[in-house]
Amino acid sequence: MDRDEIIRVLRAFESAGLEYVLIGAAAMAFHGLVRATADLDFLIRATSENIERLRTALREAFQGDPNINEISSSDLLGDYPAVRYSPPTGDLYLDVLTRLGKVASFETVDAELKDVGGISVRVATPAALYRMTKGTVRLQDQADATALRERFNLKS
Amino acid sequence: MPVQKFRSIEEMNKAPEPSYEEPPFERFVRLCAQYWAIAPNPYPRGVFKFRSIEEAQKARLEHSMLERRGPQV
Repeated sequence: MDRDEIIRVLRAFESAGLEYVLIGAAAMAFHGLVRATADLDFLIRATSENIERLRTALREAFQGDPNINEISSSDLLGDYPAVRYSPPTGDLYLDVLTRLGKVASFETVDAELKDVGGISVRVATPAALYRMTKGTVRLQDQADATALRERFNLKS
Repeated sequence: MPVQKFRSIEEMNKAPEPSYEEPPFERFVRLCAQYWAIAPNPYPRGVFKFRSIEEAQKARLEHSMLERRGPQV
């Protein structure tokens, strides 16, 4: 997925009315903390209607890729709250989450709107990103938490 | 200021970021493209399901390690 594809995905999310919040490295980039990543992480509202919007948006963005049919409400609302979609082209893939352990869900993550190419992108706030990454085991998350805390003077 | 000197890594980490004219999102996209040009590691195409974010992260790590190991002969 290249720049144009990212824009296409975000535009499709907007036009489908998907309720989401961008988290992870891409969200940090919107706040000025830029690092490379392999994926775009989205936390979405966990309803079957919203998951249908997700499928609609991805079909629009990726010309009806049949793999998208494998994304189901029964999984995302049940035992599989994390779904990875690797589209037919490009290097980046999407991680879509309906909940992040007991730490976060769409409803509990504070977000703000950012503009990119005329598209409103709902991005987790620095404090919300910090809450999600602090205290996790993964080294990259710990580094992200440290960067967020220092840049935005967040309390640990 | 092309060269900056620091007495420690902590002092270096606290130094103000250089200012970029390019918006952060554009810089992010460019950096990702550069990264993948240097170290391509495409994830298999399709949809993959995980019981937790930790399980998803583990799958990504295992994939990266397999890719770096290359074909076994």
